[in-house]
Amino acid sequence: MLIDSFLTSLLATLASPWGLMLAVLGTLLGIVLGALPGVSSTMALAILLPLSFGMDPAFAILFLLCVFVASVYGGSISAILINIPGTPGAIVTQLDGHPLARAGRAKEALVYALIASSVGGVIGLALLVVTAPMLASIAMRFKSPEFTAIAVFGLVLLAYASPGSTVRGLLVGAVGLLCGMVGFDALTDVSRFTFDTRGLQGGIELVPLCVGLFGLAEVLRNLHGSHRATPEFDMQSTQLPLPNLRTIAGRWASMLRGSFIGAFVGAIPAAGSAIAVAIAYAQEMRFSRHPERFGHGAVEGVVGPEAANSSSIGGTLIPMMTLGVPGDAITAVLMGSLLIHGLRPGPMLFAENPGFVSSLYAGFFLALLLTLVIGLLLMRWLPWVLRIPSHTLLIGIALLCVVGAYAIRSSMADVYIMLFFGAVGYVLYLLSLPAAPLAFGLILGPLLEENLRRSLLLGRGSWEVFLHSPIAMGLFGLSLLAIILPLLAPLWVRLGNDIKRVRMH
Amino acid sequence: MTLRRLIIASVLGFTLPLSSGLLADDFPERALTLVVPWPAGGAYDLAARLMAEHAGTALSVPIVVQNVTGAAGSTGIRHVAESDPDGYTLGMMGTHAIAQSYMNPNATPLDELEALVFIGPEPAAFAVGSDTGITDIADYLQTLQESPGAIINGNDSPGGFSYIAASMLESQFDVTLTKIPYQGYAPTFSALLSGEVMSALLPIPLLADQHASGQLQILGVASDARHPFAPDVPTFKEQGYDFTAEDFFMLYLPQGVPNERRDTLESAFYTLLEDEAFQLAASEVGLVIAPQPREASSDYLTQRADEVYEILSSANLVDDALTR
Repeated sequence: MLIDSFLTSLLATLASPWGLMLAVLGTLLGIVLGALPGVSSTMALAILLPLSFGMDPAFAILFLLCVFVASVYGGSISAILINIPGTPGAIVTQLDGHPLARAGRAKEALVYALIASSVGGVIGLALLVVTAPMLASIAMRFKSPEFTAIAVFGLVLLAYASPGSTVRGLLVGAVGLLCGMVGFDALTDVSRFTFDTRGLQGGIELVPLCVGLFGLAEVLRNLHGSHRATPEFDMQSTQLPLPNLRTIAGRWASMLRGSFIGAFVGAIPAAGSAIAVAIAYAQEMRFSRHPERFGHGAVEGVVGPEAANSSSIGGTLIPMMTLGVPGDAITAVLMGSLLIHGLRPGPMLFAENPGFVSSLYAGFFLALLLTLVIGLLLMRWLPWVLRIPSHTLLIGIALLCVVGAYAIRSSMADVYIMLFFGAVGYVLYLLSLPAAPLAFGLILGPLLEENLRRSLLLGRGSWEVFLHSPIAMGLFGLSLLAIILPLLAPLWVRLGNDIKRVRMH
Repeated sequence: MTLRRLIIASVLGFTLPLSSGLLADDFPERALTLVVPWPAGGAYDLAARLMAEHAGTALSVPIVVQNVTGAAGSTGIRHVAESDPDGYTLGMMGTHAIAQSYMNPNATPLDELEALVFIGPEPAAFAVGSDTGITDIADYLQTLQESPGAIINGNDSPGGFSYIAASMLESQFDVTLTKIPYQGYAPTFSALLSGEVMSALLPIPLLADQHASGQLQILGVASDARHPFAPDVPTFKEQGYDFTAEDFFMLYLPQGVPNERRDTLESAFYTLLEDEAFQLAASEVGLVIAPQPREASSDYLTQRADEVYEILSSANLVDDALTR
């Protein structure tokens, strides 16, 4: 039945010229934006999101998924050719991809990256399709106390997995929580933190915040950086013939390892693709018979992480779709687009809108397919993208940010909010604080507040409601563990060292 | 700033009657914007998009649906109230606009809006979860009389229709519910299904499938007539209780739209709502279409405003600055 509805929605999209055109357009834009250094997948999504407002929800998500998936591959183009990762997920790809390119094997590296990306993506999708309904059916039984626990767990993971120090992540996350309180109180409709202005009564929407934080702030950051010369690279190296299919297929083990690592790490809320690729790279090195080749152009060093990078997409969609908790900044933006279309991700989505869920799966699959096809067809010309002068690009992006923020609900207030968070994002960058926890805080804050207060109302003021829910208690336990473990780990290591030292003497 | 506004206002004041007189025959000559104060996907949005789809039957121009959301619906209402009163921007509202106008000092007062056409009522159905063991209204009321507050009812936050309906039930039958707020109908509905709340007053199309499959039970329809989506469920009146609770859909304009344009719009939308194909499409999604002309719509709005004010003021929800 699942396969049936999946195929029906896939065919429906393929049969509609409008849908197919959007998908191709999304893929092209995704590859181009992903390849541009300084434009991450998150930014690509944030600035293209407003284009999708007017579309039918199924087409909107198809378009965005195409942008998402294609930008993930696009990121590896610049990583391989000019040693600058186009997206954070491609940081590891450059370690071996660029040495390959310098050795005149750029095309080979690009093809490996593309194939590994596609394989990883399909495996990520398969895991999403298999796991999500199971998780959703469990989450269907979730009531307010369980959702409170989920929000707490999400917040803890967010602090734990933020890049940089935990305290920094928590600090920014707390600001995000505060932002989530602006506007009408979810339970009483009393307005809060609005400074008696009408503009803030509607609260801070996720989309203008994301557009500001991940779009405009990045533009400011790029302006801030010293003028970067148009990168030089050897175009000839991308024109060599393709490696044959058998050699590529021979890398199946690396692809599979990378894919599974990516999907599992991606599924942990707030872990994201950058962590997934780092683990995948480390694993490839461990399994290799020639670990000394890594860093000097080892093909496994490109294949494994690229597979992990793509499969983490499917992984990050699991908590977003089933629990409404974003896996990373990109899914936070995707969530924003679903909310605009009146679709709240979470267990109810599976029950109320099974058609939409299968069209999302189909859209994801189509995105992978198109990225592969377009990536292969355009491989000769894609490197030209890197020659787009950055000043033209930045102006275009800034413009899209403003138009996009206005388009959400035709309100200037959202434009001001976008500009404000653009500035906030830039300040965070100057202070070297991570920006993503702000978006997580904004999503999880209202979820936590609403459900916590409702749980207490239901328990008539007593915290005992949480004790009666084994699931909530389990999640609280896990949260506690996640806080305590990193604190204990250094102790453990020191203890181990002490024992070793005692033995040696 | 004030001076500039004054000049603009006076210039507009002089030219508007003139220009509208000249252009009366041409109106409308470009697309109309219909503002929906809720996100896409809800019943309001559905009704608006159906009208836009069938606009060709009554209008020579298309209708563009615009979702201007936020602040419990008051952002969208303000958007219309502050738009140019040229007849090209109109909005759709329901009980929420009345409630907000008394609860929120920043919301648009009702006298800044002009009722255009009443589209139809949205009757509430009174449903209980299947594991509550309650099988009829008498049973439900008895439980509440024995122990006030024993029933946990899911509803909107104060000001939303399902909250007002629950308050109406309380005052009608002199009982006390434990009212738990949710953000809209869909979460309330899932709380009713999961058993987190025991009862709720919600629109019928939302409940019909689960009622048929036995996951919940609709005890009564709070309207004068049964609903085509649940024809087996009797109304409250049929069961001997004089209780109705209806939300409504109404088209409105900002104050100050020239009379000819207003009348053109009124008759066009009235024709559209009476259209057979439109009514068929509306009934398929469970919308009740019962259009009323402008005068009657305006009376209806006044009457509902009085009712809602009563309920809000007895619950101490009317803002101090907005008491009558």
